[in-house]
Amino acid sequence: MRPIGLRARVSAAFAVGALLLSACVSLVSYELIRNTLFAERERTAVRAAYVDATVVNAGVAGPAPEVAEALRVLDTGADRYVLLHLNGEWYSRTAEPAAGSAVPAGLQEMLGRGEAGAQRIRRDSGPALVVGIPLSGSAAFYEIVSLRELDRTLQLLAVVLAAVAIMVAAGGAAVGWYVTRYALRPLTVVAEAARGVAAGDLATRLDPATEPDLAGLSHAFNDMADQLARRLERDRRFAADVSHELRSPLQTLEAAVSVVHRRKDSLDERSAAAVGLIAAEVSRFQNLVDDLLELARSDQPVHREPTGVAELARGVCTARGLPGSLVEVVPGTPGTWRVDRRRFEQTLANLIDNAIRYGGGPIAVRLGAAGGGRCFLEVDDEGPGVPEEHRPAIFSRFVRGPAANARGAKDGTGLGLSIVAGHAAAHDGRATVGDRPGGGARFRVELAGCVP
Amino acid sequence: MTAVLLIEDDDRIRLSLSMALEDEGYTAYTAATAEEGLAEQRRRPADTVLVDLMLPGMDGFECIRQLRRDTEVPIIVISARDDTHDIVAALEAGADDYVIKPVAVKELAARLRALRRRSRVAAAAATAPAATVLTFGDLQVSPDAGEVRLNGAPVAVTRTEFRLLCELAAHPGLVLSRQQLLQRVWGYEFGDERVVDVHVGRLRHKIETDNSKPRHLVTVRGLGYKLQP
Repeated sequence: MRPIGLRARVSAAFAVGALLLSACVSLVSYELIRNTLFAERERTAVRAAYVDATVVNAGVAGPAPEVAEALRVLDTGADRYVLLHLNGEWYSRTAEPAAGSAVPAGLQEMLGRGEAGAQRIRRDSGPALVVGIPLSGSAAFYEIVSLRELDRTLQLLAVVLAAVAIMVAAGGAAVGWYVTRYALRPLTVVAEAARGVAAGDLATRLDPATEPDLAGLSHAFNDMADQLARRLERDRRFAADVSHELRSPLQTLEAAVSVVHRRKDSLDERSAAAVGLIAAEVSRFQNLVDDLLELARSDQPVHREPTGVAELARGVCTARGLPGSLVEVVPGTPGTWRVDRRRFEQTLANLIDNAIRYGGGPIAVRLGAAGGGRCFLEVDDEGPGVPEEHRPAIFSRFVRGPAANARGAKDGTGLGLSIVAGHAAAHDGRATVGDRPGGGARFRVELAGCVP
Repeated sequence: MTAVLLIEDDDRIRLSLSMALEDEGYTAYTAATAEEGLAEQRRRPADTVLVDLMLPGMDGFECIRQLRRDTEVPIIVISARDDTHDIVAALEAGADDYVIKPVAVKELAARLRALRRRSRVAAAAATAPAATVLTFGDLQVSPDAGEVRLNGAPVAVTRTEFRLLCELAAHPGLVLSRQQLLQRVWGYEFGDERVVDVHVGRLRHKIETDNSKPRHLVTVRGLGYKLQP
């Protein structure tokens, strides 16, 4: 599973935090508002009930109480409902048979004891408040006040507060997203610098002053780049030193052997054979030193320049006594590629030498475009081909195939194809081997970034 | 008999190479240091100088510069270093060619012959009457007189530079690839193209008013060089 990114995590944390905070605030304010409104409404209802109770009390106090008349004169409006309990009978302004059932038994008992009281109830038409006030004698006056309006107001308030909480959470997520983008911006600079170094620009450095909070990272990056540059320089110097140390004695050997070789006719047979051996080994030793140095330097950055590859390829062929017409350019291939001229040339030379040594000579050298700025180079031969199981190892160091032309002196160093692989990798490409249709091997090297 | 001066501090290389060169038909003068070599060249001028770059005391680069100051003798660097920096620096100091040790004696002899051929052509041209003058704006090349003039004033060029300029001047406006120039000017079947680049650079210093924006000797990216008015 793909790990969740830093930005997503920070944004989620911001959102959850904002949601928690806004939910708490909403809940608390909802409760406060609800209680305040209810208390206010109750006080008003009780006050109105007392006024009404006084009026009704006066109306029913006489010896012949005019109950209906006393209730009728009350100005109750639509949301108040008046009940009178007198001598075991329920009276209301409308002839409602079960009017008394709306009053809870507990409240009736309270009034029975002569105490006033109020209680919230739930009716079919919504929540309501019952206010009970004992009148003179055993009479009790009840007023049922509908709280539906207030309830609706509170419901609306709850919806609004929930919506606000969700919006605040979304806002938190957005802030998190924005803040992380801003916070991560210096890191993209670091990433770009790292890419630059990887691509071979060893002079890339970060300025620790531009982002004080990331100064540690900048310093560490610069130290790393410094060390890398020093190491590469040390490697380069080492290769140069080794080259000098090995090449000087080889020069003496080469010149001295040529002096003796020129006089081999005056030597006896055994000495002449020995001189022949020395001469052959000196030249092999030279190739080995060259290849080892090349391999040691293969991880150095490439120096790309526009290169007329077809002409270069023909030159490599003619230098080996092969016809330049071996080189085929696939139609539509750009004429100049951005490659390291020297390493491209050596790649081609090694592949052709490989074909000569193990494949009976190249029969085609093909140059073509592979799309996406990539170009390829193929060398075909008509030899025995490379068996599937040997293919992965063939680009390793000191791996040699059975030489097709069994002349020992032509034996390679076993480094040619690893150098090819190294050069291909330096160009962000790769070297592969497959079958040529019709028999033989087809070596293919793909190089990236050849066409801008 | 052609004389070659070999400036090389390694005794064994000096001895073996001078023997091998004598086998090839050259007279070999030798020197172990740059100072000794410069004195030797003044006392008994050789036709070609082979010089190592890593020498005790004065190094090979300085030795080439001092030789170049006095003479147009063909100089071949013979060095164990194959660093591009070293090769370019040596060629810029004024060397005509660069070979990397160990060089096969046959190969070295072939290069010496090619250089000699070039020198002879240039020397012969110098004595011939001024027949043809190739004009490229303010630049005039007289292949037969061995003369280069910029705004009428003569320009001092080495023999290799002169041959390179003549080759380009003989094909006005035509692009010559580095390999073609190597074959025609240096006489190599196949060689190091950096040699051409450095010589072109040196030539530009002498015939262009602004090196970064050459007017006459222009690079055609990926193809080669051409000379234009």
